[in-house]
Amino acid sequence: MAIIEVKKLSKTFKVKLKEKGLIGSLKAIIKPKYKKVEAVKNISFEIEKGEVVAFIGPNGAGKSTTIKMMTSILYPDKGSINIMGLDPTKDRKKLAYQIGTVFGQKEQLWTHLTPYDNFKFFGAIYDINPSVIEKKIDEFRELFELDEFINTPVRNLSLGQRIRCEIVASLIHEPKILFLDEPTIGLDPVVKENIRTLIKRMNKEYKTTIFLTSHDVSDIEKLCKRVIIINNGQVVLDDSMENLKYHYLNKKLVDAKMKEKINLDDEEGITILKDKGYNLKLEVDITKRSVADAIKLLDPDKIIDINISNVPLEDIISNIYKNKE
Amino acid sequence: MAAKNQIKVVLMSYKYSFMREMLNKTSFISGIVFMMLNNACMVGQWIVLFTLKADFGGYGFREIILLWGFAAGTYGVAHAFFAQAFHLSDLIVNGKLDAYLVQPKNILISVITSAIIPHALGDIIFAYVACFIYSFNIKVFLLFTLLIITGGLILTSLAAILNSLSFWLKNSDIIADTGVSAVIFFATYPDGIFHGLTKWILFTIIPVGIANYIPVRSIINCDYSLILFNILACILFIAFAFIIFYRGLKRYASGNLMSARV
Repeated sequence: MAIIEVKKLSKTFKVKLKEKGLIGSLKAIIKPKYKKVEAVKNISFEIEKGEVVAFIGPNGAGKSTTIKMMTSILYPDKGSINIMGLDPTKDRKKLAYQIGTVFGQKEQLWTHLTPYDNFKFFGAIYDINPSVIEKKIDEFRELFELDEFINTPVRNLSLGQRIRCEIVASLIHEPKILFLDEPTIGLDPVVKENIRTLIKRMNKEYKTTIFLTSHDVSDIEKLCKRVIIINNGQVVLDDSMENLKYHYLNKKLVDAKMKEKINLDDEEGITILKDKGYNLKLEVDITKRSVADAIKLLDPDKIIDINISNVPLEDIISNIYKNKE
Repeated sequence: MAAKNQIKVVLMSYKYSFMREMLNKTSFISGIVFMMLNNACMVGQWIVLFTLKADFGGYGFREIILLWGFAAGTYGVAHAFFAQAFHLSDLIVNGKLDAYLVQPKNILISVITSAIIPHALGDIIFAYVACFIYSFNIKVFLLFTLLIITGGLILTSLAAILNSLSFWLKNSDIIADTGVSAVIFFATYPDGIFHGLTKWILFTIIPVGIANYIPVRSIINCDYSLILFNILACILFIAFAFIIFYRGLKRYASGNLMSARV
């Protein structure tokens, strides 16, 4: 049975319009104009227990609005959300015990307190017995390697350490579902990898269902088995990562370094992406032509070096965004 | 059980807010001391006025001291323990309520108790000094304590109601600041000097009469019916603040500004 059910969810915001300059500001006071922005339009999906789902889309696609409706922050205009049998608009407190949230751009920790004090405070918020909180903190301290900075005020921590503490704080009450809104934003590659390991561990050790938004394709590729793509407030793709790659990775890139210049033109299934004389880049549509055809076209005797690769997932996702606009 | 847990979280929140404010020891102590001195200077003006006239609106010097102490006490209680009620508009407009909405606690209580203003403690200390100058009496002390709490809660509720208008008006902080400032301003004048429409306004639109004048009268005259009235009025104000805030919350639009809990 699905742990999350979202049905025909919609949310519209009223945005004030203002013309440029001082006159525009005066007009906006005398006769304000508004426009309706449909942030989320009639979206539906279901998520099973223990799934790690990427909920992705370009900026302004409606990701954060959807997450905020699912976590009781915003009221939907239409549609329904059912999370573990609870309605976020009516059962906010009950739901809060079942979910954890991390918003990469909004800190929930008190910056002047140490992570330890913060965890104790969060424990109290979720009505956890102090002795149980101590045990939990000890468990997390070991599991998520917090020893080095658990007694340092949050304001003195690096961004990576802070995000790690944000995630741990959101886990203190052992939520069944964790909503992560761009948890790796602004982090360096090493710290990103640490955070990903932590998320994987949470899913494995505690069977936590994870609902993740991120602009970082590596987050999605390394963590998620299912992808929901949203654009202009609508779900444009809801598929497994495997299927996404299978259906959309039907193109190969061939990079070749040549001994001598050759002249090539586009053929059916083979597109010349780059031709710099000795360096060529071809795109092969493997539903129409084979990679071997492309190599034959280049003349194998004249090739010094060759590299055959998949189209990056980032490009695939960008194309999905563009095609569905 | 839920109420007990909410109180526990509120007390922890106060503890951590005090810890934050005490990080800057000099600012913390000087804030308290200078607020007491500020109030004392204002009372100094009344000392001068009483050399010219023996009575102002039915209040003698001791009553004026009590009035000033009471005004400082209500302000102190409201700002020391419910400081964020006075900044709710900013939190609403800039989408800073998210962290409270995902927690299993009462949102309005959690928000308004999430910060303290240290100099308001100076007001509370001044309030008790004034109370003892008026009368060093345990009954007066207990009544004074009860009524500065109800007065503080009425002031807090008024701030919460007016700031919550931001859910509809987008930015009601000026309305809220004006309303709260009016109560604080008129709270230091004896109600006997106001008449007619002004007096009506001070007991309705600007509820300083309910928050301050009636309690001060009830302490002076030891009038229990007025005390009961004040408690009931306080409950009504609190209820109204919750109704307005939760009605408005359905219109909360959150926001994507970067923010931290400091």
